[in-house]
Amino acid sequence: MQPKNEITTETRDAATLLRIKGDVTVFSEPFLKEAYLGATRQGANRILLVFDKESYINSGGIAVLIQILAEARKRSQVVGITGLSEHFKKIFNMVGITKFAKIYGSVEEGLSAMASAG
Amino acid sequence: MSEQETGANLSVSESRESIKILDERTLEIDLPNQFGYEQVAMECAASFAKLVGFVRERIDDLRTAVAEACLNAMEHGNKWRTDARVIVTMNFENGTFSVSVKDEGPGVVDLPEDPDIQKKLEQLEPARGLGIFLIRHLVDDVEFNKPAGEGNVLRMVLRMSY
Repeated sequence: MQPKNEITTETRDAATLLRIKGDVTVFSEPFLKEAYLGATRQGANRILLVFDKESYINSGGIAVLIQILAEARKRSQVVGITGLSEHFKKIFNMVGITKFAKIYGSVEEGLSAMASAG
Repeated sequence: MSEQETGANLSVSESRESIKILDERTLEIDLPNQFGYEQVAMECAASFAKLVGFVRERIDDLRTAVAEACLNAMEHGNKWRTDARVIVTMNFENGTFSVSVKDEGPGVVDLPEDPDIQKKLEQLEPARGLGIFLIRHLVDDVEFNKPAGEGNVLRMVLRMSY
């Protein structure tokens, strides 16, 4: 049985929020890509990924996120991240993701910062 | 988390993993070679580390390192063979927590170099291949051994700081 993600999309101010429920692993790829492409089709150019602090995230899930960031980069979209535990903030920083997507302490902080970005 | 979300079937009647307490300092877990069961080893290591007094931050490091080592064994060692097993042995002694993860594979030919996030974002190298990097950066020591005819063993060590 493969894990599934439930991803809800919400537009707030000038950004699109993708709220990700469930563990983030290699099996998250179709769910994350579908949500990202759906937001892109709707014209999103600022995307805030909202993780669940309790979720298990592994290297396969981080690789999926890198693929999303690569696609966003091609389209000149700004991507932010929030909802991570301190441990996964450290991991994302270790891998280098934070050079390309800022991590925010809360949704409100992310929205505020992204509204004034670019 | 539901069983469906994790992919792990942990009900007692259908459980296919086994956990043995070899002595008060040593646990051994015999896992099926199936995605999701790495979380059994991860949670077991976290509970054991908490019991012996590790702080939350180090337990989180251990959780990720153990999960990644098990996934590495399942994918690269055992090639997702459904008849293969992953044996995880953990020991705490003299302030040192060690975890060995053994698979049945032919051996890791080349260990991956540290990832280059820029190249990954430019799609010049695969997005995957982060597991060994994470393990190396989260634990105090890591070594890869291949005992004759016995598969691969990844051994990692975390030391308790007083």
